[in-house]
Parts: sequence; C-alpha cells; structure tokens
Amino acid sequence: MSTQAAQPAQVRLQHQVEELCAASIRALSGQPDVHFRGRRLHSAGVALPLFAPHLHPSLDDDDFASFRGASDGLALRLRLSVPQLHRQLCPAAPVERLLFELLEQIRVESQVPAGLRGVAGNLRHRFEQWSLAFHRSGLTDSMRGILLFTVAQICRARVTGEPVLHEAEDLMEAIRAGIAPLLGHALAGLRRYRHDQAAYAGHALHLAKLVADLLRSAEPEGADGDKDKPAEEMERAAFSLMMDFDATVEDGIAAAVSGRSRVLEGQGDVYRVFTTAYDREVAAASLVRPALLREYREQLDRRIAGQGVNTARLARELKLLLARPVQDGWDSGQEEGRLDGRRIAQLIASPTERRLFRTERLEPQSDCVLGFLIDCSGSMKQHIESVAMLVDVLTRALEQAGVNTEILGFSTGAWQGGRAQRDWLRLGKPQHPGRLNEVNHLVFKHADTTWRRARPDIAALLKPDLFREGIDGEAVTWACNRLKKRPEARRILLVISDGCPMDGATQLANDAHYLDNHLKQVVAQQAQSGEVAVFGVGVGLDLSPFYPHNLALDLSSPPGNGVFRELLGMLARHLCF
Amino acid sequence: MTTTPCPTPPQDRPHERHRPPDSGLPDRMVSVRDVFGIASDLRVPAFSTPDAHVPEIDSVYRFNPEVTLALLAGFTHNRRMLVQGLHGTGKSTHIEQVAARLNWPCVRVNLDGHISRLDLVGRDTVVLRDGQQVTEFQEGIVPWALQRPMALIFDEYDAARPDVMFVIQRILEQGGQFTLLDQNRVLRPHPGFRLFATSNTVGLGNLNGLYHGAQRLNHAQMDRWNIVAALNYLPAAEEMAIVAARVPSLADPARHALLEGMVAMADLTRKGFAAGDLSTLMSPRTVITWGENIGIFQDPALALRLSFLNKCDEAERPVVAEYYQRCFGTELAESHALTAQRP
Repeated sequence: MSTQAAQPAQVRLQHQVEELCAASIRALSGQPDVHFRGRRLHSAGVALPLFAPHLHPSLDDDDFASFRGASDGLALRLRLSVPQLHRQLCPAAPVERLLFELLEQIRVESQVPAGLRGVAGNLRHRFEQWSLAFHRSGLTDSMRGILLFTVAQICRARVTGEPVLHEAEDLMEAIRAGIAPLLGHALAGLRRYRHDQAAYAGHALHLAKLVADLLRSAEPEGADGDKDKPAEEMERAAFSLMMDFDATVEDGIAAAVSGRSRVLEGQGDVYRVFTTAYDREVAAASLVRPALLREYREQLDRRIAGQGVNTARLARELKLLLARPVQDGWDSGQEEGRLDGRRIAQLIASPTERRLFRTERLEPQSDCVLGFLIDCSGSMKQHIESVAMLVDVLTRALEQAGVNTEILGFSTGAWQGGRAQRDWLRLGKPQHPGRLNEVNHLVFKHADTTWRRARPDIAALLKPDLFREGIDGEAVTWACNRLKKRPEARRILLVISDGCPMDGATQLANDAHYLDNHLKQVVAQQAQSGEVAVFGVGVGLDLSPFYPHNLALDLSSPPGNGVFRELLGMLARHLCF
Repeated sequence: MTTTPCPTPPQDRPHERHRPPDSGLPDRMVSVRDVFGIASDLRVPAFSTPDAHVPEIDSVYRFNPEVTLALLAGFTHNRRMLVQGLHGTGKSTHIEQVAARLNWPCVRVNLDGHISRLDLVGRDTVVLRDGQQVTEFQEGIVPWALQRPMALIFDEYDAARPDVMFVIQRILEQGGQFTLLDQNRVLRPHPGFRLFATSNTVGLGNLNGLYHGAQRLNHAQMDRWNIVAALNYLPAAEEMAIVAARVPSLADPARHALLEGMVAMADLTRKGFAAGDLSTLMSPRTVITWGENIGIFQDPALALRLSFLNKCDEAERPVVAEYYQRCFGTELAESHALTAQRP
C-alpha cells in the first residue's frame, strides 16, 4: 500500500500496461470478458489459475516485451487449452502438478496461429527472460533447481522446435546427458501429440511422474548439507506461486451490513433532526484556494489523460441510452407527407416537380439530467482520485451526449457532532434527538454550468479536509429535490459511496442503524414517486441493502473502459423507457 | 430551377440482344461443381445467353460455399432471400456474381431512407406525345422487374423506411400478385422473377453503434423472407485467397507471410471490436484496400495507417499498435513500447 502511494506513476504505468495486455488477450483469445484485477487475470469476475511461473512478470524487473510475451502466453492458453479436460487430468501431487501445468503451457505456446509472427517472438523473449532471471537469482545452484530448470528448457525446446537458450546450454549439459535417455520417449510423445491435448497430457503426466521421482531421489543428497536448505526454500518461494493454482477466488467485494433501528421504528418511522441551525449548502470550490484548485485540476487531467478512456465512444453509447426521438422541426422537399403551402407556386412553375411535401423531423434528444451525489465521508478519501476521474470523464461524455449533469457531495461540518452535539449536551441530552451533526452539502457543479466552466470546481473533490462523516438519507433527499426542480423530463441520480451512513454522534445518541434505515426509507420513497431514478454505485462495496438498483465497482485501480461499460450496463438494465 | 427527372427503370435497349419478357425462362441446367467450384452434385437452371442486364463475370471472385448454395436455392426454387452480414463482406457482389454465372438478368436497387412508395411502384408523369402533353403512368422498378425474368436486389434493405417497405409485402410471397392501385391493374410475377435483399443488421436496428441509419424492421415482413443467410467474416485461409485474388502483388509466395499477418491483424481487430476495445473493425474490404495501398507505398505500416489506423479513435491506437506488433513483430509509432515513459 505504501509503495503504491509513494509511486503513483508506477501504478499508472502498471495499469496502462495491464490495459493493453488485457486488450490483446481479449483479441487473441476471443474471450471478451477477460481483464486484470489486482495483477491477476480474471474471467467474468473469477480469478483464473496462474498456469505457469513465467506468465507473471513484474514491472520492476521485466521489460514491456516480457509483459507482451506473458499476455500472449495467457491468451493462447485461453484459446487452445480446454480447461475442463485439463482440470480432469491434472495430478494432485504438487511437483507433478507444477510440471503438468508448465507442459500444457509449453504445448499452447508451440502452436502460435498463422500470421502472428510477433506473438512467437514475444513468447520466446518472455521465456528467455524468465529463464535468465531464474538462473541469475541463484535457483539453479541447488540440485532440484537445476533439474527443474533443465527439464523446462528441454521440454520447451523439444515441443516448440526452438533452440535452447544459449546462455543455459553449458549449465545444463551434465544434467541433460543424464536425464535425456530417461525422458526421451516422453519427449518424443510430447512433440508428436502437441496438437492433441488429451494425448499430449498422457505423455505429460508420464514425464511429470519421472521428474518428480528424480526430484525425490535428489532430496536426500541435499538434506545432508545445511548449505542447501536456504536454496531449497528459495526455490519453493519461486514456485510457491504455482501451488495455489486452483484457487478460484470470487470477487472480494463485501456487502454493506444493515439492521433494524428500534429508535426509528419507535418514532413511527419519522426521521428527526435535532437542529438544522448549522446545516450549510456551499459551493465546494469556494472552500479551496484557487491556486490549489488549479493544481488539483492539473493532477486530475494528467490522470485522466493517462487512462486512455474513449470519451467519444462513451458519449455515443450514453446518447443511445438516454436520448429519445423527439419531433424537431420539418423536413421540406419531400415526396410525400403534408402539403407544404410554400411550394404550391413551384408546382405551377414546374409541374413535374413532386417534392411539394414536408414531413416531421425526428431528432434524438436527451431530455435528461443526471446528478452525481458523492459520499464525502472520511473513508472515501482513498478512493476519491478514482471517483473524481470517473465523474469528470462521465460529465464530459454526458455533456457531449446532450445530458445536463450536476455534481453534488455530502459531508458534515464537524467530527463527532460539532455544534449540534454541544447544543444537545447543553439541553441535558434529551433522549433520541435524531440526527446530531452539522450537515454540509457541497455543490461541485450546477446543472446549468458547462463542464468546461466547472473544471476547476470539480477538482475540489481532491481536497482531503472536506471529508468528514456522512448522512446519506438527507443528502439523497436534498439531491432529489434539486433534480426535481429541473425542467428535464428524465432525472437520474447516481449515489457514489463506499459504505453505510456514518455519524458517530447520531449513532451514539440514537442507535447504530438509525441513519441506515432513514436512507432505505428515502430511497424507497423516491422509487415510489418515480420522479428521480436513484442508483447506488458502491466503491468496493455492495450497496444492495440500500439501493435496489446498484453496482459494485472495483476502483482499486483507476477507472478504465471496463468500469464505464459496467456503469452503462447498470443504467441500461434499470432505466425504464 | 432545376428539376430532377423522376427515376425510371432501366429501359430495354432495342439494339442489344434481349429475350422477349414473357418467354424468358431458364433454358438449360448447369453443374454447380463446374460453374462455382463447389463440391456439390447439384444442377441449377441457367440461361444460355446473357442479356443486357446480366452483370459481368468477375473471374477471380471466390464463392462462399454455404451462401452460394443458399443463393442457388433462391434462384432454383424461387425463394425470397435476405443476406445479412457486416459491412465489406461482399453480400451484394455475391448475389451479382451468382447471377452473372447463371446469365440471370439482375438489377440492384440501393435503398435509403428517402426511397418512397412512388419510386418503387411508379407514378403518373407528364410526357410529350405527338406534341401533346399527356399524363402517363410510368412503372416503378418493382412492377417493371416483376414482369421479367429478373433478379431484383434490394441493397441496404434495413436503410429503407419500414413503412415504405410494406409495398413489397405481397410479392415476398411466392406467386404473390402485385396490385397497382393507380392503374387498377393486378400484376402476376413472371416465373423467372427473383427477389433478394442485403442488409447489415437483422432488422433490430443499430445495436452495436456501427450502422447509423439502420432501421428497425417490421418483423412481420422479416418473417416473410424464406431464406436468411449470414455472410460474416470468413476463415483466414479463405480471406487470404480473396485478398490475394484482388491484390495480385500479394499472391507472390514471397509475400505470403505479409498476407497472413494482414489477415490475422484484421481478425484481431474484429475480436477487439467484439470485446469493446475498438469502436471500428477491419472488413475484408479494408484488408483489400490495405493491400492495394501497400502496392502504392511499399510500406505495410504506412499503408495500414492510411487505410485503417486513421479511422480509429486516438485512444484506441495503442491497442491497434499492440495488435500490429503481435502480427508483424514490429512497432507502430503509437505503440506503448515507444511512447511510455518509465518512472
């Protein structure tokens, strides 16, 4: 975490590289739902196995070509290997399993489809780089290490028909001579059946078994010297990645927790506010120095530029989603339709001219306003950069699509109740006072301001000391009321939040779920009135307890095209026409 | 003021050899294997002599067996046929080339959103006869073709307004008669009349954002097409053969690797489009243009830039550069490997 914070440039580069690699994996494998999440390849939200040790380069040690090679290896694996068959045949013992996985990877890498010259080069480069790194890290000094290394080299050379890495040739000469007769038959089988996964697997299993036996027999030798111990551990560390290959971790997005609120129920579900005397509604930009705003804006622009989001495409898709055909003027000079009186004279002057009619013109028009309501509670600070990018890009795209946008935020004026709580204490702590804090509603962008004008104001999102506590229910009501005053026919509110409503003072004075239940009430009311469509966007959190229409986004890395696709998907699913 | 003459169907030119409209029925059977090079024992009816409306034969045209057989069924058994496919896959040309080899007269009509009922059915026009102005009914393309042995092709069928296309509702049925309301005449289709249409979508409108102007079609009408064939992108080997046939310089065995890379590149862009990484894709037509441009510029990368890359959004170009590196092992200027600054 700390290294990430220290090197945002590194993180961004990693993200760019992953985006490009994932794009080429999608194209090469033909699987559209593959993407990287936390440096690991996921397919449809489920982490894929790690497949082979050389498929996981790191930005610190490896060049971009290595990433390309690794991504091509992954793509071919997805394209050419049948996972069910592979899983069925895969042995249970760890060493056999490791070898079996590696051999299957070598098999797919030997079958580069025609016309992909670069892929073959990338794969070779990556395997060479991995081999060199393996060797240079001293792993080949142990008996087991050199044995595994040699087997990997020989198998790859044999199956793909490419020469063995020159640098390694001398190193493995002795071992090679020793094991070649033993493995000869299996190797020939691998080469012959490389186009047939099942037949190949038979030989691969045989070979894995032979090598595992060899390793076991090598073990006692190593055990008598203490010197070999650390080497063995290192080797295990290098291959430890391989050991959890069937861990198919589901998405680690937790669901928000909520319960009943006895206080709210006891008061007939009427939400109370202790005092509104200290509540404020402010333009967020007025709270930040203009020079700082400019700086934040530049920072935000740099991030967005590095993200490579296709705004034009996004705008087009939003337009498709939100625009409706509207009668807008007339097309004259038509051959049928309503008679156009202005053209009667033309009929007399030129009797053969038949284009005397006019028809109604239909234009797609987005008569729509979309509000973002951003939770500015303390915990959002860590996600705010991604959220700001998301909102900024969406605002721009929505504007291109002819949709007005409003960017709002909510926080509190103080921690732990502030002046409201002091008043309450002064009055002798009456029971169940209701909401007990200074509500602070922030306006980052008015619906009537254009994105261009609001650019610096949006950057105020990056100001960390605006973030305190969050009283969601009131904020949703406030945002909906603002939207209802707009003339647009369709109103949408996206609430971006990473947690439940949270205000220490209110929860202590009432009960733990007082604010939660008010939020549920408010969202239900809005859904019933149907004037504003409210969507919940959870940042790393499933908001389904509060919002019937919701989406959990993973913003641990900056938002790329995938995040926007997910958002559009949610809107498309739930917007009724 | 200029007046545009109202569109009239192509007139039979008397000096050219043509069959009398009524007797014209296919007069011989040809073998599909011989004429189209498809492994099938089918024999199909054909005309022995071409007339003015028979398209010219393109000797290097390559037939897709599945679609060709479907088209031949359309010609032989008088089935109404719709060919659907992404752009640049050669849908219309396919029908035309089949007609050319059968010597079947053929007329292509490009539909668009402004085609009106009058264009298709016909209208009264004022003509000069013996120095007198008289009103005369001029047949539109549909009644004209209906009375002849003629394959009528509606190109871009999904671009026409669905309400206008109801004009052809009845003739979509076999033997369905056509009533000319303006003349109180009922036309019976000539037994040699065939109807085909091509479209980019299957009548559900512009779903993927590629086909602006495509209409949602009426499904009662879609239902009447007897055969709907899909002509989508071809297997790599076939596409290579097509490109090599069109761009002879690429047929050279020394340039086989180049050609293979080009077709692989096109395939990657199509998969990338399906995954949402690109908003445009390379059609076979683009590949052919690329091949032709290679002939002009002698540089595959430059030719790609001019024929495809410049059509892509700027944000998508690094992705295209990745594809290019995969296929050719060399970099485009947009490549991340060249532009990225390591921290």
